[in-house]
Amino acid sequence: MIRNVTIPSLQQTEMLLQQRRTRLFLLLPFFGTGYILSVVFHLLTWKSGTPPSTWVRLFYYDGLMLITYGALWLLLWGETHQRGTSPTRTFWGLTVASLLFLGLGYLVLRIGRPSGDLALSAPVTGFAYETGVPLTWAAVVQMNVLALLEALLAFWLLLQLRGLVLFKRTRQSERSWRWMLITMAGSALLVDLFQPDEFVLALLLSLPVGLMLRNAFRVAWILYLPFRQKLLNLGLTVLATGALSGTLAFTSGPAYEYVWHYSPALSSFVNLSLAFGILYLVTSFLSLLFHLPTTGAFQRKVDELAALHALMQMVSQVFDVERLTDTIVRLPVETGVAQTAWLALPDFQTTFRPRIVAAYNLPAGQTPEALVDVEALYQEVATRRQFLLLEQALTDHRVRARPEHGIGSLLVVPLVARNELLGVLFVTREVAYGFEQDEVEAITVFATQAALALDNARLLHERLEKERLARELAIARDVQRRLLPQQLPRLPGLQIVASSVPAQEVGGDYYDLLRLDDHRLAFIVADVAGKGTSAAFYMAELQGIFRALSPLNPDPVVFLTQANRALFETLARKAFISAVYGVFDVAKGTVTLARAGHPPPILLRPHAPPRLLRLQGLGLGLDRGELFRQTLEPCTLSLQAGDRLLLYTDGLIESRNDRGEAFGYDRLLQTLEAHAQDTAASLHRHLLETLAQFTGHPAYDDDLTLVIFQWQEVPMLQETRDHQDVQTQTAGASTSTTQPSQPSQQAP
Amino acid sequence: MSNFSVGFRQHNGVQILDLHGELDAHTAPELEAALQKCLQNGQYNILINGRDLDYISSAGLGVFMAYVEEIREKGGDLKIAELKPGVYNVFDLLGFPLLFDILPSEAEALERFARGERPMLPSS
Repeated sequence: MIRNVTIPSLQQTEMLLQQRRTRLFLLLPFFGTGYILSVVFHLLTWKSGTPPSTWVRLFYYDGLMLITYGALWLLLWGETHQRGTSPTRTFWGLTVASLLFLGLGYLVLRIGRPSGDLALSAPVTGFAYETGVPLTWAAVVQMNVLALLEALLAFWLLLQLRGLVLFKRTRQSERSWRWMLITMAGSALLVDLFQPDEFVLALLLSLPVGLMLRNAFRVAWILYLPFRQKLLNLGLTVLATGALSGTLAFTSGPAYEYVWHYSPALSSFVNLSLAFGILYLVTSFLSLLFHLPTTGAFQRKVDELAALHALMQMVSQVFDVERLTDTIVRLPVETGVAQTAWLALPDFQTTFRPRIVAAYNLPAGQTPEALVDVEALYQEVATRRQFLLLEQALTDHRVRARPEHGIGSLLVVPLVARNELLGVLFVTREVAYGFEQDEVEAITVFATQAALALDNARLLHERLEKERLARELAIARDVQRRLLPQQLPRLPGLQIVASSVPAQEVGGDYYDLLRLDDHRLAFIVADVAGKGTSAAFYMAELQGIFRALSPLNPDPVVFLTQANRALFETLARKAFISAVYGVFDVAKGTVTLARAGHPPPILLRPHAPPRLLRLQGLGLGLDRGELFRQTLEPCTLSLQAGDRLLLYTDGLIESRNDRGEAFGYDRLLQTLEAHAQDTAASLHRHLLETLAQFTGHPAYDDDLTLVIFQWQEVPMLQETRDHQDVQTQTAGASTSTTQPSQPSQQAP
Repeated sequence: MSNFSVGFRQHNGVQILDLHGELDAHTAPELEAALQKCLQNGQYNILINGRDLDYISSAGLGVFMAYVEEIREKGGDLKIAELKPGVYNVFDLLGFPLLFDILPSEAEALERFARGERPMLPSS
């Protein structure tokens, strides 16, 4: 615990030092005190005239140096750490700093000397040959000032170059930079301690020099410079190299003795730093030179890819399939990756062959099919599920283009999303071998993005289509529901039970009842061939005809003939309607009806077997009119008390059980015989129950409509009217999709 | 899922279509496609053989109505033969025997084709 608190980790120290105030507070005292102490040390040496003992030099002086210049390094590190580096500024700064240093160094060397040659040997410059003890006060001042200046320059140089070396830094590059600094400092210290001979020195320096070389080749920043910047930096590296070389000549020449006697370690470190600076500048110069010719191409490529990537984002934001396909073929061309592009999608509706849905920048007057065998290439890519690159497109047998069409190379890329092939993108270039590896990759990635977008758009489209269809069906269902009678009319002596259940959301069955006057009731039960929205419209038409025509022409033959004529004109060729139409006359106790292609009505008399009324008659809308009228066979029945008339649609006959057997006429007639004495309501209920038992499931295969009339003889009209209020039952909604049947009933 | 199929045969210039299975709203497009193909090939004498047709719905009947007019305009005819009783009943209810030649055997139908006979249609 305590250790954790007292010794902060490296990161904590770094964080601490990043605050300027803390940094100055902590480091300035160290540096200031150390520097003053070193000056005092040299003054004392000068005054005493004897060199310090080895122990004092090693443990007192060298320790002091380490702390002083370590603090200086950290101070400068903090100042340069966070600034972004531009190579131009770095090189320019190095040049200026070197020149400034040279100027100052020259002035310092002149201290205490009127004029003359600066490159005098050590004894002349003011140090004892054997001991290195400064002989004059000027020498003391010079060595201290020069050492500080050199240290400042070297540190600043390293910190500046650090920004360039660690451009696009990785853990690896950071580590190698750190090791270079450590080995530089380490070898400088060893030189100080052991004063080795040349062979050992060379050995000692091989490690830092190796690392220096390694770091000198980290010049990645060059790639991203525009051409003019490269040119400018080329000049600046020459300038800076010159300035640094001059500095190195100065530090290892006239100034060498001063700093060496100040601290051999510092002197070695400074010279190593300067050497690294020159090395780095030289590699930068050469790299800049070699990169100059490729700058344009590189820049273009970077721009292209950047544009392609940026536009990919756009693709994912387009939801309209048509606009999306247009965008997909336009992007590769507009970003300059391709010359021409077209997109083939499979046609699942009709031909099952690839169809060109979009093309961009085709040669004038050409179609993709004229240029290449789209289908063959599509099939190959479809099976391979990988791109196909024809480097020399014109030599491929599937390419029909001629040289003047400018199709040198052809890249065919599959658009795959969710493991399904959605289409194939074709892109071309004018020249053979026109697609580079990275462009092929970019287009492949683009194709994946495009496929995803296409898939999304398609899903969205499907959902919208489904919703639209559902809305349409809901409307049709609503129309159909309104077309069926909401309330059954009442006539004395006549009991009516009716129900209609559509099998699907919208069915084709229709029935209606209309009271014509106080003793007549017109009725119709019909079945429109087909279902869905169109059936609902035909039903609407039939209802209009029934409601409008039957009051004017209640006679079945006249009504059905006119209805047929009207419907023949408007029904689709393959559509027709089967119907039974008739009129009850309660005054006369008769019913007149006719059958137009509909399943025959059934007459059920109390003490007789049920009778199918197989009247002749064509379906409505099958024939123009003549044949229809000729064949129509009306029938008038005199009703007896208890007579029941059943009208139904083919759903009743054709409903099937799980074995595929239809309910059929035989079962229908049997059921009717079994319930021969039932009232209309009970008969209705029993029939539907029997049917449900037979099919074994509540839902019907087809629409099912069942209307039953029951005739009860009434001696006098007056009498029934008196009873009417007592026994009235109002018809409810006569259709329902949730319940299998919902009979409507009316009793006199 | 589809339990309907159409077989093609030729006899003396008459295109015979053998229907198998159930013809309803779902399978009707298959018969439409078959008839469409006949018309595209210029065959206007078409005989529908219903020996193996188990069921027909009103949508199935609609297919015959949709094509007969065009076939007759081109001088051909669409005849139907060998329907099962249950299926014939559906045709009969709607009055199709008045509009089409519906014959008990294929031989009779081919004979009528050979004689060039067509149903009398007062309206056409």
